[in-house]
Amino acid sequence: MTRYLARRLLGAIPLVLGVATILFFIVNLAPGDPALVYARPGMDAATMEQIRANFGLDRPIHVRYGRWLASLARGDLGYSFARNRPVTELIAEILPNTLILAGVAFGIAFLVGIVLGVIQAVRQYSALDSILSVLALFFYSMPSFWLALMMILVFSLFARNVWEWPIWFPASGMTSIDYEFLGGWERLADRARHLFLPAMSLALVLSAGIARYMRASMLEVIRQDYIRTARAKGLPARSVVFKHALRNALIPVATLLGLYLPFLFSGTVFIETVFSWPGMGKLVVDAINQRDYPVVLGGSLIFATMVVVGNLLADILYAVIDPRVRYD
Amino acid sequence: MSHRAKATASLVALCLPACGSDQAAPTAAADAFCAEAMAAVESFTSQLPEPTGERYGGTAVAASYGPLAGGMNSLTAPDYSARQHHAFVNLMPLVRYDQELEFAPYLAQSWELSEDGGLTFHLRDDVLWHDGKKTTAYDVEFTYRRAADPATQFPNPNYWAKYAPGADAVTVVDSFTVRFQLEPHLDYLDAWTSTAIMPAHLLANVPPAELAQHPFNTRCPVGNGPFVFVEHRQDDRWIFRRNPAFPAGLGGPPYLDRYVYRIVLDQSTLLAELLTENVDFYSAPDPDQSGSIVEAEHLDLRSFPFRQYTSVVWNGRKPQLADRRVRTALTMGVDRGEIIDVLLQGYGETANSSVPSFHWAFDPTSATEMPYDPDGARRLLEEAGWSDRDGDGVRENEAGDRLAVTVASNQGNAVRADLAQLVQASLSQIGVEVQTRILEYQTMLSTVLDPEARDFEGVVWGWVNDFRIDDTDLFHSRAVDGPYALSGTVNPELDGLLDTLQLIVDRDEARPYWHRYQRALMEEQPYSFLYFNHRLVGLNRRLQDVEVDVRGEWVNVGSWWIPGDLRKYGSGGDR
Repeated sequence: MTRYLARRLLGAIPLVLGVATILFFIVNLAPGDPALVYARPGMDAATMEQIRANFGLDRPIHVRYGRWLASLARGDLGYSFARNRPVTELIAEILPNTLILAGVAFGIAFLVGIVLGVIQAVRQYSALDSILSVLALFFYSMPSFWLALMMILVFSLFARNVWEWPIWFPASGMTSIDYEFLGGWERLADRARHLFLPAMSLALVLSAGIARYMRASMLEVIRQDYIRTARAKGLPARSVVFKHALRNALIPVATLLGLYLPFLFSGTVFIETVFSWPGMGKLVVDAINQRDYPVVLGGSLIFATMVVVGNLLADILYAVIDPRVRYD
Repeated sequence: MSHRAKATASLVALCLPACGSDQAAPTAAADAFCAEAMAAVESFTSQLPEPTGERYGGTAVAASYGPLAGGMNSLTAPDYSARQHHAFVNLMPLVRYDQELEFAPYLAQSWELSEDGGLTFHLRDDVLWHDGKKTTAYDVEFTYRRAADPATQFPNPNYWAKYAPGADAVTVVDSFTVRFQLEPHLDYLDAWTSTAIMPAHLLANVPPAELAQHPFNTRCPVGNGPFVFVEHRQDDRWIFRRNPAFPAGLGGPPYLDRYVYRIVLDQSTLLAELLTENVDFYSAPDPDQSGSIVEAEHLDLRSFPFRQYTSVVWNGRKPQLADRRVRTALTMGVDRGEIIDVLLQGYGETANSSVPSFHWAFDPTSATEMPYDPDGARRLLEEAGWSDRDGDGVRENEAGDRLAVTVASNQGNAVRADLAQLVQASLSQIGVEVQTRILEYQTMLSTVLDPEARDFEGVVWGWVNDFRIDDTDLFHSRAVDGPYALSGTVNPELDGLLDTLQLIVDRDEARPYWHRYQRALMEEQPYSFLYFNHRLVGLNRRLQDVEVDVRGEWVNVGSWWIPGDLRKYGSGGDR
């Protein structure tokens, strides 16, 4: 297993580098000029050239690529043009925010999705199954940014100003203004309150999809002979479903984990923007719009790594769930 | 262990120390710089007595979508909100504008301009950096030297165009007196209202080309203004607290304990945050959000005229746009009043030139010129040789070329996209075919600003003026091949006026020339000037004595206060 892991991780290095290289050239060849942020009447050509030189853009593209690779080898991703900070420092500050959001959303999505899928499969064609199917399709087909705005409208604005619920959720940010002055438990509650809307907006859409997969997979498994055998032995229904069926039905869902991880990061772009969550998705999209090459490349490296890790996790999960799978 | 695994292990072992060290050095230096700077601020400010009185206390939360990119460094940060925070929150310029837009003392308590172009500033001697060091003439000298150095990438190099070149431009006379040598020019003090003075004792050793990226800007700025920097969380918030040492002569320490600036990107979310009282001060809501703010009992909507004008820029290099009669017709054929009502909910005023109505140089008689007049526009087009010869509703010239133009606008700006469509609809009424085109922002900037690649006919465009208006780069024939000469204007009368305007020191003397300039622009019609928009502010009523005016949103942030019973945020947040 260790050898397998090492092989997979080492194999990922050229992959990630390849992604970054292609991106480097795409981003650098796209029309646009990061120095144009400074362009305004009164800004002379000499100073503009100086700005490009400060950014290192005065050199030909292959030289820039070489320099970029060389600093990458030293773990240096350069300076952001637009945010004027080292990219490694930016990512170190911002990546945890995205991981918290994505991790919580992912956890909720899989938990809810799997539970709902199992219920639907066990109670196939019941009224509950139909209702859950309609709901799942409803959320599955909903654009996440629209759902996000509706969540704000209902759980923040109306909940506080119109219906005056005792609990309402802030529409943006990660923490309250007085976060520094709160005690330990209050801080945790404050973070949870801020996390609720963005995490739910992400998780609802995801869990709807997972529930569909889970239902289909579970239905297939329950019809297998060994399930009939288990039932025939007189095992309790609960034990049949959760011990014998669920584990086998989870195998295709584990594939989803690898597939959804990159989707989750792209999904967070809208969610992070709507909820002003200071995360990676927003950082990279801003950087693309501003032609902030170092941040685009640094962010892409992180995303590519995440995808590789996500797939690896899915593969490891196979081995955990399915005893027939062995990696040597 | 297999061979391959061994090789991997040794590779990792080789890389780890080598990979770490090069990167670690600058980061460690930055950490050390910031730790020292912040410790000095803490040790100085913590021993100062906090002011007492019923107005003192509370936290105000402002929010907008600008991240204050570039941070608290007036030498390098280009954007509006960041510069507002330099001038009014964290730092201090030498001079500021008063309500009548006359120059008023701030860090400099007085100044004089001698016949030979010597401009001497006498500084206050009671302004301290937040680490306790005095702000002196050496800081002013340092700020000028860096700002005038192209390597620094100062955003307004034009400020120093009339200053003596090289080292002669600035002399420190004594610790609180500094003298500049310059060619006297129009509103020569304007540059010193927005260029906040930077601390030489912290930044003098930083090479100019590295100032923009210095950790000072975003991690540990040390200012001398009414608010002390506490913390910056990237893309989330900037936290400031009261500077108890802010001089009594300038109003003394601010009332607020803390002032927080939050970055909220989505306008709808920001409105929800204002309505749910998570945000007290929403800078620049969309005009179509004004209704919700006015309706809410706990909120107040303020507006002030802004220095930005929006226009359709016509590229006069294109044959169909070369005739000024055509361009005039294009302006007359657009109902600008309707555009202001529909797109800005009335928060704007018609523009006929680059000079806004609040400006001392504005010609009041120009306000009513160029009314919506489709018949007049049709007559002008006929006169210029464009008539609908084949009856398809679009005019042609004698050679049979159709009067068709493409108007570009940038992606992600709904107002400008709508604007392009309104222009399209209006101009179709006078027989001009307009196609609208939406371009990705950076692509549009390149298409419009790059003299080599410049290929557009019309573009919806906004410029933000300084208080000292200088259109030389826009309309002077000398600059016609430069990046900002979008319209390709060559007009000797404008050239003469643009040269003269910048040299007259006295406003009264300059005014008649300014009026002639506005007239000349109206005749030339390089742009269809559309409107000056007003800037809006949504405000929670618990925040008292907030003044917003043409100088900006944060102009009197030191005087904002919150009555005791309306303070929130726990015991610690509202000490």
